[in-house]
Amino acid sequence: MTLHQKERQIIVKNQYVDSFDFDEIEEFIRSASKDLFISHKFKNSDTTLVQPRGGFPTYQKQFELYEEFEKADIDVMPLTIDSHTRLNDYGSAKKMLDLSEANEVDMLNGYPLVNHGYRTTRKMTTHFNRPVSLRHGTPDARLLIETALASGIFEIEGGPITYLLPYSKNFPLDKAFLYWKYVERVCADYSRLNEPINRESFGPLTATLVPPCVTIVIQLLEMLLSLEEGVKSFSVSFAQSGSVTQDAVMANVIRKMADFYAKKIGIEDATINLVYHQWMGAFPRNKEFSDSLINSSSFIARLVRADKIIIKTRDESFGIPTMQCNAQSVANTKYTFRVLKGLPLIIDEEEEENLTKEVHSIMEAVFNDSADTLWRKVFNSIKNGIIDVPFSPHVINHNNVITIRDEHSNIRIIERGNMPISDDCLTYEKSKVKLSEDKTAVINKIIEDIGVMHE
Amino acid sequence: MYKVVTGVVGNDIHVVANRLIDISLQARGFEVFNLGVNTYLEEFIDAVVETDADVLLISSLNGEAEGWCRELQFLMAEYELKDVTFVIGGNLSVGESKDEDLVKKYQSYGFDLVFHQIELNDGLDQLEEFLGKKS
Repeated sequence: MTLHQKERQIIVKNQYVDSFDFDEIEEFIRSASKDLFISHKFKNSDTTLVQPRGGFPTYQKQFELYEEFEKADIDVMPLTIDSHTRLNDYGSAKKMLDLSEANEVDMLNGYPLVNHGYRTTRKMTTHFNRPVSLRHGTPDARLLIETALASGIFEIEGGPITYLLPYSKNFPLDKAFLYWKYVERVCADYSRLNEPINRESFGPLTATLVPPCVTIVIQLLEMLLSLEEGVKSFSVSFAQSGSVTQDAVMANVIRKMADFYAKKIGIEDATINLVYHQWMGAFPRNKEFSDSLINSSSFIARLVRADKIIIKTRDESFGIPTMQCNAQSVANTKYTFRVLKGLPLIIDEEEEENLTKEVHSIMEAVFNDSADTLWRKVFNSIKNGIIDVPFSPHVINHNNVITIRDEHSNIRIIERGNMPISDDCLTYEKSKVKLSEDKTAVINKIIEDIGVMHE
Repeated sequence: MYKVVTGVVGNDIHVVANRLIDISLQARGFEVFNLGVNTYLEEFIDAVVETDADVLLISSLNGEAEGWCRELQFLMAEYELKDVTFVIGGNLSVGESKDEDLVKKYQSYGFDLVFHQIELNDGLDQLEEFLGKKS
Protein backbone atom coordinates (compact mmCIF):
# COMPACT_ATOMS: atom_id res chain seq x y z
CA MET A 1 0.00 0.00 0.00
CA THR A 2 1.41 3.41 -0.95
CA LEU A 3 1.73 6.22 1.54
CA HIS A 4 -1.08 8.07 -0.23
CA GLN A 5 -3.40 5.06 0.12
CA LYS A 6 -2.52 4.73 3.78
CA GLU A 7 -3.31 8.39 4.33
CA ARG A 8 -6.68 7.91 2.65
CA GLN A 9 -7.51 5.01 4.98
CA ILE A 10 -6.73 7.21 7.97
CA ILE A 11 -8.63 10.26 6.70
CA VAL A 12 -11.91 8.38 6.20
CA LYS A 13 -11.78 6.78 9.66
CA ASN A 14 -13.72 9.25 11.71
CA GLN A 15 -16.38 8.84 14.37
CA TYR A 16 -18.87 10.88 12.33
CA VAL A 17 -18.38 8.84 9.16
CA ASP A 18 -19.74 5.44 8.11
CA SER A 19 -17.09 3.12 6.77
CA PHE A 20 -15.77 3.90 3.28
CA ASP A 21 -15.91 1.10 0.74
CA PHE A 22 -13.26 2.27 -1.74
CA ASP A 23 -13.82 -0.64 -4.16
CA GLU A 24 -17.50 0.10 -4.36
CA ILE A 25 -16.82 3.85 -4.81
CA GLU A 26 -14.45 3.15 -7.71
CA GLU A 27 -17.04 0.95 -9.33
CA PHE A 28 -19.69 3.65 -8.87
CA ILE A 29 -17.51 6.31 -10.50
CA ARG A 30 -16.46 3.98 -13.33
CA SER A 31 -20.07 3.33 -14.28
CA ALA A 32 -21.56 6.71 -13.31
CA SER A 33 -23.77 8.54 -15.80
CA LYS A 34 -21.87 11.02 -18.01
CA ASP A 35 -24.53 13.60 -17.12
CA LEU A 36 -23.06 13.86 -13.63
CA PHE A 37 -19.77 15.14 -15.01
CA ILE A 38 -19.51 18.86 -15.68
CA SER A 39 -16.36 18.15 -17.72
CA HIS A 40 -18.60 16.20 -20.10
CA LYS A 41 -21.17 18.99 -20.16
CA PHE A 42 -18.51 21.61 -20.92
CA LYS A 43 -17.39 19.57 -23.94
CA ASN A 44 -20.91 19.35 -25.32
CA SER A 45 -22.16 22.87 -24.65
CA ASP A 46 -21.73 26.01 -26.75
CA THR A 47 -23.28 28.43 -24.29
CA THR A 48 -22.54 29.64 -20.76
CA LEU A 49 -23.67 27.12 -18.13
CA VAL A 50 -25.70 28.53 -15.25
CA GLN A 51 -25.01 27.71 -11.63
CA PRO A 52 -26.49 29.33 -8.52
CA ARG A 53 -25.38 28.83 -4.91
CA GLY A 54 -27.36 26.78 -2.42
CA GLY A 55 -27.12 24.52 0.57
CA PHE A 56 -29.62 23.61 3.32
CA PRO A 57 -28.91 21.54 6.43
CA THR A 58 -31.38 18.70 5.93
CA TYR A 59 -31.53 16.16 3.10
CA GLN A 60 -35.21 16.91 2.69
CA LYS A 61 -34.74 20.66 2.11
CA GLN A 62 -31.75 20.15 -0.17
CA PHE A 63 -33.87 17.74 -2.21
CA GLU A 64 -36.67 20.32 -2.44
CA LEU A 65 -34.17 22.98 -3.53
CA TYR A 66 -32.97 20.70 -6.32
CA GLU A 67 -36.58 20.11 -7.37
CA GLU A 68 -37.02 23.88 -7.73
CA PHE A 69 -33.76 24.15 -9.69
CA GLU A 70 -34.79 21.28 -11.94
CA LYS A 71 -37.99 23.15 -12.87
CA ALA A 72 -35.79 26.11 -13.92
CA ASP A 73 -33.75 23.73 -16.11
CA ILE A 74 -30.56 24.41 -14.22
CA ASP A 75 -27.22 23.41 -15.82
CA VAL A 76 -25.13 22.85 -12.71
CA MET A 77 -26.48 22.12 -9.22
CA PRO A 78 -24.64 23.71 -6.31
CA LEU A 79 -23.90 22.04 -3.01
CA THR A 80 -22.83 24.68 -0.51
CA ILE A 81 -21.30 23.31 2.68
CA ASP A 82 -22.00 24.70 6.20
CA SER A 83 -19.36 26.63 8.12
CA HIS A 84 -18.77 24.00 10.87
CA THR A 85 -17.86 21.38 8.27
CA ARG A 86 -15.54 23.92 6.61
CA LEU A 87 -13.64 24.05 9.89
CA ASN A 88 -13.67 20.23 10.24
CA ASP A 89 -15.97 20.53 13.28
CA TYR A 90 -18.25 17.61 12.45
CA GLY A 91 -19.49 17.37 16.03
CA SER A 92 -21.09 20.82 15.98
CA ALA A 93 -22.39 20.18 12.47
CA LYS A 94 -24.12 17.02 13.70
CA LYS A 95 -25.67 18.79 16.67
CA MET A 96 -27.00 21.58 14.46
CA LEU A 97 -28.21 19.10 11.86
CA ASP A 98 -30.15 17.21 14.54
CA LEU A 99 -31.72 20.47 15.74
CA SER A 100 -32.60 21.45 12.18
CA GLU A 101 -34.27 18.11 11.59
CA ALA A 102 -36.20 18.21 14.88
CA ASN A 103 -37.44 21.80 14.66
CA GLU A 104 -37.66 22.57 10.96
CA VAL A 105 -35.47 25.62 11.53
CA ASP A 106 -32.21 25.90 9.58
CA MET A 107 -29.44 25.85 12.14
CA LEU A 108 -26.65 25.58 9.54
CA ASN A 109 -25.74 27.81 6.60
CA GLY A 110 -25.15 24.85 4.28
CA TYR A 111 -25.33 21.09 3.79
CA PRO A 112 -23.19 19.09 6.26
CA LEU A 113 -22.00 16.59 3.68
CA VAL A 114 -19.67 14.59 5.92
CA ASN A 115 -22.46 13.98 8.44
CA HIS A 116 -24.99 13.00 5.79
CA GLY A 117 -22.44 10.66 4.27
CA TYR A 118 -21.92 9.52 0.70
CA ARG A 119 -24.43 6.68 0.68
CA THR A 120 -27.30 9.07 1.44
CA THR A 121 -26.11 12.00 -0.68
CA ARG A 122 -25.45 9.81 -3.71
CA LYS A 123 -29.17 8.96 -3.80
CA MET A 124 -29.89 12.64 -4.37
CA THR A 125 -27.22 13.32 -7.00
CA THR A 126 -28.11 10.25 -9.05
CA HIS A 127 -31.83 11.01 -8.76
CA PHE A 128 -31.43 14.45 -10.38
CA ASN A 129 -28.66 13.26 -12.73
CA ARG A 130 -27.15 16.71 -13.32
CA PRO A 131 -23.62 17.86 -12.53
CA VAL A 132 -23.16 19.00 -8.94
CA SER A 133 -20.50 21.52 -7.93
CA LEU A 134 -19.11 21.49 -4.40
CA ARG A 135 -18.80 24.97 -2.88
CA HIS A 136 -17.13 25.16 0.50
CA GLY A 137 -14.10 27.20 1.71
CA THR A 138 -12.28 24.47 3.59
CA PRO A 139 -8.49 24.58 4.07
CA ASP A 140 -8.36 20.89 5.03
CA ALA A 141 -10.95 19.41 2.69
CA ARG A 142 -9.57 15.87 2.49
CA LEU A 143 -12.49 14.04 4.11
CA LEU A 144 -15.03 16.39 2.55
CA ILE A 145 -13.72 15.74 -0.96
CA GLU A 146 -13.51 11.96 -0.45
CA THR A 147 -17.16 12.12 0.60
CA ALA A 148 -18.15 14.41 -2.29
CA LEU A 149 -16.56 12.27 -5.00
CA ALA A 150 -18.09 9.12 -3.51
CA SER A 151 -21.45 10.93 -3.59
CA GLY A 152 -21.27 11.62 -7.33
CA ILE A 153 -20.18 15.26 -6.99
CA PHE A 154 -17.66 15.64 -9.79
CA GLU A 155 -16.74 19.30 -9.59
CA ILE A 156 -14.66 20.51 -6.67
CA GLU A 157 -14.18 24.22 -6.08
CA GLY A 158 -11.34 25.73 -4.08
CA GLY A 159 -7.61 25.64 -3.63
CA PRO A 160 -4.91 26.23 -1.07
CA ILE A 161 -4.66 29.98 -1.77
CA THR A 162 -8.17 30.95 -2.82
CA TYR A 163 -9.88 29.11 0.03
CA LEU A 164 -7.46 30.39 2.63
CA LEU A 165 -6.40 34.00 2.04
CA PRO A 166 -9.96 35.39 1.83
CA TYR A 167 -11.42 33.31 4.67
CA SER A 168 -8.90 32.60 7.41
CA LYS A 169 -6.86 34.64 9.85
CA ASN A 170 -4.24 32.10 10.91
CA PHE A 171 -4.72 28.63 9.40
CA PRO A 172 -1.14 27.65 8.35
CA LEU A 173 -0.75 28.17 4.62
CA ASP A 174 1.90 25.46 4.20
CA LYS A 175 -0.50 22.89 5.64
CA ALA A 176 -3.22 24.06 3.25
CA PHE A 177 -0.91 23.38 0.29
CA LEU A 178 -0.30 19.81 1.45
CA TYR A 179 -3.98 19.13 2.19
CA TRP A 180 -4.93 20.38 -1.27
CA LYS A 181 -2.19 18.28 -2.86
CA TYR A 182 -4.04 15.29 -1.45
CA VAL A 183 -7.30 16.56 -2.95
CA GLU A 184 -5.70 17.03 -6.39
CA ARG A 185 -4.30 13.50 -6.32
CA VAL A 186 -7.63 11.94 -5.38
CA CYS A 187 -9.36 13.94 -8.14
CA ALA A 188 -6.66 12.93 -10.63
CA ASP A 189 -6.91 9.24 -9.71
CA TYR A 190 -10.69 9.12 -10.11
CA SER A 191 -10.41 11.05 -13.40
CA ARG A 192 -8.89 7.96 -15.00
CA LEU A 193 -12.05 5.91 -14.46
CA ASN A 194 -14.64 7.86 -16.44
CA GLU A 195 -14.93 11.50 -17.56
CA PRO A 196 -12.44 13.76 -15.73
CA ILE A 197 -13.26 15.31 -12.37
CA ASN A 198 -13.28 19.09 -12.80
CA ARG A 199 -11.39 21.27 -10.36
CA GLU A 200 -12.28 24.95 -10.12
CA SER A 201 -10.34 27.77 -8.51
CA PHE A 202 -12.08 30.58 -6.63
CA GLY A 203 -11.09 33.73 -8.51
CA PRO A 204 -13.09 36.35 -6.60
CA LEU A 205 -10.70 36.09 -3.60
CA THR A 206 -11.70 38.93 -1.25
CA ALA A 207 -13.89 40.48 -3.96
CA THR A 208 -12.55 43.83 -2.85
CA LEU A 209 -10.55 45.84 -5.39
CA VAL A 210 -8.26 42.90 -6.19
CA PRO A 211 -6.11 43.97 -9.15
CA PRO A 212 -6.45 41.73 -12.24
CA CYS A 213 -2.79 40.67 -12.21
CA VAL A 214 -3.14 39.24 -8.68
CA THR A 215 -6.32 37.36 -9.59
CA ILE A 216 -4.75 35.90 -12.73
CA VAL A 217 -1.46 34.90 -11.09
CA ILE A 218 -3.30 33.05 -8.32
CA GLN A 219 -5.60 31.37 -10.85
CA LEU A 220 -2.60 30.22 -12.87
CA LEU A 221 -0.71 28.93 -9.84
CA GLU A 222 -3.64 26.92 -8.50
CA MET A 223 -4.18 25.55 -12.00
CA LEU A 224 -0.53 24.48 -12.24
CA LEU A 225 -0.57 22.90 -8.78
CA SER A 226 -3.61 20.91 -9.85
CA LEU A 227 -2.36 19.91 -13.31
CA GLU A 228 1.00 18.81 -11.95
CA GLU A 229 -0.83 16.22 -9.81
CA GLY A 230 -2.63 14.88 -12.88
CA VAL A 231 -5.97 16.76 -12.97
CA LYS A 232 -7.20 16.96 -16.59
CA SER A 233 -10.09 19.43 -16.37
CA PHE A 234 -9.70 22.75 -14.60
CA SER A 235 -11.69 25.97 -14.41
CA VAL A 236 -10.04 29.31 -13.81
CA SER A 237 -12.40 32.01 -12.62
CA PHE A 238 -12.77 35.66 -11.79
CA ALA A 239 -15.53 37.94 -10.57
CA GLN A 240 -17.13 40.92 -12.27
CA SER A 241 -14.66 43.75 -11.69
CA GLY A 242 -16.99 46.71 -12.12
CA SER A 243 -15.57 47.65 -15.52
CA VAL A 244 -16.72 45.89 -18.69
CA THR A 245 -13.39 46.61 -20.40
CA GLN A 246 -11.40 45.18 -17.52
CA ASP A 247 -13.57 42.03 -17.51
CA ALA A 248 -12.97 41.52 -21.23
CA VAL A 249 -9.24 42.15 -20.83
CA MET A 250 -9.02 39.70 -17.94
CA ALA A 251 -10.88 37.00 -19.84
CA ASN A 252 -8.63 37.30 -22.89
CA VAL A 253 -5.42 37.41 -20.88
CA ILE A 254 -6.31 34.60 -18.48
CA ARG A 255 -7.17 32.28 -21.40
CA LYS A 256 -3.88 32.94 -23.16
CA MET A 257 -1.84 32.71 -19.97
CA ALA A 258 -3.50 29.46 -18.87
CA ASP A 259 -2.48 27.81 -22.15
CA PHE A 260 0.99 29.31 -22.00
CA TYR A 261 1.79 28.18 -18.46
CA ALA A 262 0.20 24.72 -18.80
CA LYS A 263 2.49 24.14 -21.80
CA LYS A 264 5.42 25.58 -19.87
CA ILE A 265 5.15 22.72 -17.35
CA GLY A 266 4.67 20.25 -20.18
CA ILE A 267 0.91 19.70 -20.05
CA GLU A 268 -1.03 19.82 -23.31
CA ASP A 269 -3.92 17.42 -22.73
CA ALA A 270 -5.86 19.28 -20.03
CA THR A 271 -9.05 21.23 -20.69
CA ILE A 272 -9.15 24.71 -19.18
CA ASN A 273 -12.52 26.41 -18.72
CA LEU A 274 -13.38 29.97 -17.77
CA VAL A 275 -15.89 30.74 -15.03
CA TYR A 276 -17.37 34.19 -14.40
CA HIS A 277 -18.84 35.24 -11.05
CA GLN A 278 -21.61 37.81 -10.97
CA TRP A 279 -20.81 40.81 -8.76
CA MET A 280 -19.34 39.51 -5.47
CA GLY A 281 -19.29 42.79 -3.55
CA ALA A 282 -22.09 44.47 -1.67
CA PHE A 283 -25.42 44.43 -3.52
CA PRO A 284 -28.01 47.21 -3.58
CA ARG A 285 -30.66 46.95 -0.87
CA ASN A 286 -33.27 47.28 -3.56
CA LYS A 287 -34.43 44.07 -5.19
CA GLU A 288 -35.27 45.62 -8.55
CA PHE A 289 -31.82 47.20 -8.76
CA SER A 290 -30.34 43.84 -7.81
CA ASP A 291 -32.18 42.28 -10.75
CA SER A 292 -30.62 44.91 -13.01
CA LEU A 293 -27.15 44.30 -11.65
CA ILE A 294 -27.55 40.53 -12.09
CA ASN A 295 -28.75 41.02 -15.63
CA SER A 296 -25.81 43.23 -16.54
CA SER A 297 -23.45 40.61 -15.08
CA SER A 298 -25.05 37.94 -17.22
CA PHE A 299 -24.53 40.13 -20.26
CA ILE A 300 -20.81 40.45 -19.49
CA ALA A 301 -20.48 36.70 -18.95
CA ARG A 302 -21.70 36.11 -22.50
CA LEU A 303 -19.63 38.98 -23.84
CA VAL A 304 -16.43 37.39 -22.48
CA ARG A 305 -17.58 33.92 -23.62
CA ALA A 306 -17.44 32.39 -20.15
CA ASP A 307 -18.01 28.64 -20.03
CA LYS A 308 -19.97 28.96 -16.79
CA ILE A 309 -21.49 31.71 -14.71
CA ILE A 310 -22.11 31.64 -10.98
CA ILE A 311 -25.14 33.72 -10.19
CA LYS A 312 -26.59 35.77 -7.35
CA THR A 313 -30.19 36.50 -6.41
CA ARG A 314 -32.22 39.65 -5.75
CA ASP A 315 -32.15 38.69 -2.05
CA GLU A 316 -28.33 38.96 -1.91
CA SER A 317 -28.18 41.87 0.54
CA PHE A 318 -30.82 40.33 2.82
CA GLY A 319 -29.37 36.88 3.53
CA ILE A 320 -29.90 33.34 2.24
CA PRO A 321 -32.47 33.44 -0.59
CA THR A 322 -35.62 31.34 -0.60
CA MET A 323 -35.61 28.31 -2.91
CA GLN A 324 -38.14 29.95 -5.21
CA CYS A 325 -36.15 33.18 -5.47
CA ASN A 326 -32.98 31.23 -6.20
CA ALA A 327 -34.64 29.14 -8.90
CA GLN A 328 -36.21 32.25 -10.43
CA SER A 329 -32.73 33.75 -10.75
CA VAL A 330 -31.60 30.64 -12.66
CA ALA A 331 -34.57 30.93 -15.01
CA ASN A 332 -33.94 34.67 -15.55
CA THR A 333 -30.28 34.16 -16.39
CA LYS A 334 -31.09 31.33 -18.79
CA TYR A 335 -33.64 33.61 -20.47
CA THR A 336 -31.07 36.41 -20.78
CA PHE A 337 -28.64 33.98 -22.43
CA ARG A 338 -31.30 32.80 -24.88
CA VAL A 339 -32.01 36.32 -26.08
CA LEU A 340 -28.43 37.63 -26.17
CA LYS A 341 -27.15 36.94 -29.65
CA GLY A 342 -24.38 38.35 -31.79
CA LEU A 343 -22.33 39.98 -29.07
CA PRO A 344 -19.13 41.59 -30.34
CA LEU A 345 -15.75 40.48 -29.04
CA ILE A 346 -14.04 43.25 -27.08
CA ILE A 347 -10.29 43.50 -27.46
CA ASP A 348 -8.16 46.26 -25.93
CA GLU A 349 -4.58 45.58 -27.00
CA GLU A 350 -2.93 48.23 -24.85
CA GLU A 351 -4.62 46.99 -21.67
CA GLU A 352 -3.96 43.36 -22.53
CA GLU A 353 -0.30 44.05 -23.12
CA ASN A 354 0.10 45.83 -19.78
CA LEU A 355 -1.74 43.10 -17.86
CA THR A 356 0.23 40.36 -19.62
CA LYS A 357 3.50 42.03 -18.62
CA GLU A 358 2.41 42.30 -14.99
CA VAL A 359 1.36 38.65 -14.88
CA HIS A 360 4.63 37.46 -16.45
CA SER A 361 6.75 39.51 -14.01
CA ILE A 362 5.02 38.07 -10.96
CA MET A 363 5.03 34.52 -12.36
CA GLU A 364 8.72 34.83 -13.16
CA ALA A 365 9.49 35.93 -9.61
CA VAL A 366 7.52 32.94 -8.25
CA PHE A 367 9.35 30.49 -10.52
CA ASN A 368 12.68 32.06 -9.60
CA ASP A 369 12.18 31.40 -5.90
CA SER A 370 14.89 29.07 -4.70
CA ALA A 371 12.55 26.41 -3.23
CA ASP A 372 12.54 22.95 -4.83
CA THR A 373 8.81 22.45 -5.45
CA LEU A 374 6.15 24.68 -6.95
CA TRP A 375 3.99 24.79 -3.83
CA ARG A 376 6.97 25.92 -1.73
CA LYS A 377 7.80 28.61 -4.28
CA VAL A 378 4.22 29.86 -4.10
CA PHE A 379 4.23 29.68 -0.31
CA ASN A 380 7.44 31.75 -0.14
CA SER A 381 6.08 34.24 -2.66
CA ILE A 382 3.01 34.91 -0.54
CA LYS A 383 5.17 35.18 2.56
CA ASN A 384 7.45 37.69 0.79
CA GLY A 385 4.59 39.78 -0.53
CA ILE A 386 5.39 38.94 -4.18
CA ILE A 387 1.76 37.91 -4.18
CA ASP A 388 -0.36 40.28 -2.08
CA VAL A 389 -4.16 40.09 -1.92
CA PRO A 390 -5.86 43.35 -0.88
CA PHE A 391 -8.12 42.96 2.14
CA SER A 392 -7.07 39.43 3.03
CA PRO A 393 -7.60 38.75 6.76
CA HIS A 394 -4.72 36.25 6.83
CA VAL A 395 -1.68 37.08 8.96
CA ILE A 396 0.73 35.91 6.23
CA ASN A 397 -0.63 38.38 3.65
CA HIS A 398 1.28 41.66 3.38
CA ASN A 399 -1.65 44.00 2.64
CA ASN A 400 0.70 46.58 1.16
CA VAL A 401 -0.84 46.71 -2.29
CA ILE A 402 -3.32 49.57 -2.62
CA THR A 403 -5.77 49.89 -5.49
CA ILE A 404 -8.38 52.41 -6.55
CA ARG A 405 -10.80 52.81 -9.48
CA ASP A 406 -10.15 55.08 -12.45
CA GLU A 407 -12.86 57.13 -14.15
CA HIS A 408 -14.04 54.08 -16.13
CA SER A 409 -14.17 52.00 -12.95
CA ASN A 410 -11.08 49.95 -13.84
CA ILE A 411 -9.16 48.75 -10.78
CA ARG A 412 -5.71 50.38 -10.78
CA ILE A 413 -2.66 49.74 -8.60
CA ILE A 414 -1.37 52.85 -6.84
CA GLU A 415 0.95 51.10 -4.35
CA ARG A 416 2.64 47.87 -5.47
CA GLY A 417 4.11 46.79 -2.11
CA ASN A 418 6.59 43.96 -2.80
CA MET A 419 4.86 42.88 -5.98
CA PRO A 420 7.51 42.72 -8.71
CA ILE A 421 5.65 44.60 -11.44
CA SER A 422 7.87 46.86 -13.54
CA ASP A 423 8.12 50.63 -13.13
CA ASP A 424 6.62 51.00 -16.61
CA CYS A 425 3.56 48.96 -15.66
CA LEU A 426 3.10 50.87 -12.41
CA THR A 427 3.45 54.18 -14.24
CA TYR A 428 0.82 53.02 -16.72
CA GLU A 429 -1.58 52.07 -13.90
CA LYS A 430 -1.03 55.32 -12.03
CA SER A 431 -1.38 57.44 -15.16
CA LYS A 432 -5.03 56.39 -15.33
CA VAL A 433 -6.03 57.89 -11.96
CA LYS A 434 -6.05 61.41 -10.60
CA LEU A 435 -5.30 61.13 -6.90
CA SER A 436 -6.24 63.74 -4.33
CA GLU A 437 -3.49 65.05 -2.03
CA ASP A 438 -5.82 64.69 0.95
CA LYS A 439 -5.43 61.26 2.63
CA THR A 440 -9.00 61.12 3.94
CA ALA A 441 -10.30 61.94 0.45
CA VAL A 442 -8.32 59.01 -1.00
CA ILE A 443 -9.73 56.67 1.67
CA ASN A 444 -13.24 57.93 1.00
CA LYS A 445 -12.69 57.24 -2.68
CA ILE A 446 -11.52 53.68 -1.85
CA ILE A 447 -14.64 53.15 0.28
CA GLU A 448 -16.79 54.41 -2.58
CA ASP A 449 -14.92 52.19 -5.03
CA ILE A 450 -15.51 49.08 -2.93
CA GLY A 451 -19.24 49.74 -2.69
CA VAL A 452 -19.46 50.79 -6.31
CA MET A 453 -22.70 48.82 -6.92
CA HIS A 454 -24.30 49.83 -3.63
CA GLU A 455 -27.33 52.12 -3.67
CA MET B 1 -3.24 61.54 20.09
CA TYR B 2 -5.99 59.11 21.09
CA LYS B 3 -5.16 55.42 21.15
CA VAL B 4 -7.76 53.03 19.74
CA VAL B 5 -7.95 49.27 19.96
CA THR B 6 -10.15 47.85 17.22
CA GLY B 7 -11.10 44.53 15.66
CA VAL B 8 -13.99 42.29 14.67
CA VAL B 9 -15.53 40.27 17.49
CA GLY B 10 -16.16 36.52 17.51
CA ASN B 11 -16.11 34.05 14.63
CA ASP B 12 -16.54 36.86 12.15
CA ILE B 13 -14.17 37.11 9.20
CA HIS B 14 -15.49 40.39 7.69
CA VAL B 15 -12.15 42.03 7.07
CA VAL B 16 -13.05 44.80 4.64
CA ALA B 17 -14.78 46.99 7.21
CA ASN B 18 -11.97 46.24 9.64
CA ARG B 19 -9.27 47.50 7.26
CA LEU B 20 -11.31 50.56 6.34
CA ILE B 21 -11.82 51.43 9.99
CA ASP B 22 -8.08 51.02 10.51
CA ILE B 23 -7.01 53.32 7.66
CA SER B 24 -9.79 55.85 8.36
CA LEU B 25 -8.83 56.14 12.03
CA GLN B 26 -5.20 56.61 11.03
CA ALA B 27 -6.16 59.30 8.54
CA ARG B 28 -8.01 61.08 11.39
CA GLY B 29 -4.87 61.01 13.51
CA PHE B 30 -5.67 58.15 15.90
CA GLU B 31 -3.02 55.68 16.96
CA VAL B 32 -4.53 52.35 15.94
CA PHE B 33 -3.98 48.88 17.39
CA ASN B 34 -5.85 46.61 15.02
CA LEU B 35 -6.41 43.06 16.27
CA GLY B 36 -8.06 42.08 12.98
CA VAL B 37 -10.90 39.63 12.55
CA ASN B 38 -11.87 36.66 14.79
CA THR B 39 -11.06 38.48 18.01
CA TYR B 40 -12.52 37.52 21.38
CA LEU B 41 -13.69 39.98 23.99
CA GLU B 42 -10.95 38.98 26.43
CA GLU B 43 -8.32 39.71 23.78
CA PHE B 44 -9.79 43.18 23.26
CA ILE B 45 -9.70 43.92 26.98
CA ASP B 46 -6.13 42.62 27.28
CA ALA B 47 -5.07 44.92 24.43
CA VAL B 48 -6.82 47.92 26.00
CA VAL B 49 -4.96 47.32 29.27
CA GLU B 50 -1.65 46.68 27.52
CA THR B 51 -1.76 49.75 25.26
CA ASP B 52 -3.53 52.01 27.79
CA ALA B 53 -6.05 52.79 25.06
CA ASP B 54 -8.60 55.60 25.19
CA VAL B 55 -11.10 53.90 22.94
CA LEU B 56 -12.18 50.32 22.28
CA LEU B 57 -13.96 50.12 18.94
CA ILE B 58 -15.49 46.71 18.33
CA SER B 59 -17.12 45.88 15.03
CA SER B 60 -19.36 43.00 14.04
CA LEU B 61 -20.94 42.25 10.71
CA ASN B 62 -22.44 38.82 10.97
CA GLY B 63 -24.68 39.82 13.86
CA GLU B 64 -23.17 37.57 16.51
CA ALA B 65 -21.87 40.51 18.62
CA GLU B 66 -24.66 40.21 21.12
CA GLY B 67 -23.59 36.79 22.25
CA TRP B 68 -20.03 38.00 22.83
CA CYS B 69 -20.59 41.47 24.26
CA ARG B 70 -22.85 40.71 27.20
CA GLU B 71 -19.70 39.95 29.16
CA LEU B 72 -18.34 43.46 28.70
CA GLN B 73 -19.96 44.87 31.85
CA PHE B 74 -18.31 42.18 34.00
CA LEU B 75 -14.88 42.65 32.42
CA MET B 76 -15.18 46.44 32.78
CA ALA B 77 -15.79 46.07 36.50
CA GLU B 78 -13.00 43.55 36.90
CA TYR B 79 -10.36 45.73 35.21
CA GLU B 80 -11.76 49.11 36.35
CA LEU B 81 -11.80 50.51 32.83
CA LYS B 82 -13.71 53.68 33.72
CA ASP B 83 -11.93 56.11 31.42
CA VAL B 84 -12.15 54.04 28.27
CA THR B 85 -14.77 54.93 25.65
CA PHE B 86 -16.51 51.79 24.43
CA VAL B 87 -17.87 51.80 20.90
CA ILE B 88 -19.58 49.09 18.92
CA GLY B 89 -20.64 49.32 15.30
CA GLY B 90 -21.65 47.36 12.26
CA ASN B 91 -24.54 45.02 11.78
CA LEU B 92 -25.56 44.35 15.34
CA SER B 93 -28.45 41.93 15.06
CA VAL B 94 -29.27 38.76 13.19
CA GLY B 95 -32.40 39.56 11.19
CA GLU B 96 -34.25 42.84 11.34
CA SER B 97 -34.62 44.77 14.53
CA LYS B 98 -35.46 48.29 15.75
CA ASP B 99 -32.51 50.66 16.12
CA GLU B 100 -33.63 52.17 19.43
CA ASP B 101 -34.07 48.73 21.05
CA LEU B 102 -30.59 47.73 19.93
CA VAL B 103 -28.98 50.93 21.17
CA LYS B 104 -30.56 50.50 24.62
CA LYS B 105 -29.51 46.88 24.79
CA TYR B 106 -25.87 47.55 23.97
CA GLN B 107 -25.77 50.58 26.28
CA SER B 108 -26.88 48.29 29.07
CA TYR B 109 -23.85 46.10 28.31
CA GLY B 110 -21.59 49.15 28.88
CA PHE B 111 -21.13 50.70 25.41
CA ASP B 112 -21.02 54.50 25.20
CA LEU B 113 -21.68 54.65 21.46
CA VAL B 114 -23.70 52.15 19.45
CA PHE B 115 -23.73 52.37 15.65
CA HIS B 116 -26.10 49.95 13.95
CA GLN B 117 -25.85 50.07 10.14
CA ILE B 118 -24.40 53.59 10.10
CA GLU B 119 -21.94 55.00 7.54
CA LEU B 120 -18.36 54.66 8.75
CA ASN B 121 -17.51 58.36 8.55
CA ASP B 122 -20.71 59.40 10.34
CA GLY B 123 -19.82 57.03 13.13
CA LEU B 124 -16.24 58.31 13.36
CA ASP B 125 -17.49 61.93 13.34
CA GLN B 126 -19.72 61.09 16.29
CA LEU B 127 -16.83 59.37 18.05
CA GLU B 128 -14.62 62.44 17.65
CA GLU B 129 -17.42 64.68 18.92
CA PHE B 130 -17.96 62.40 21.93
CA LEU B 131 -14.25 62.38 22.79
CA GLY B 132 -14.11 66.16 22.39
CA LYS B 133 -16.94 66.66 24.91
CA LYS B 134 -15.45 64.14 27.29
CA SER B 135 -12.06 65.85 27.58
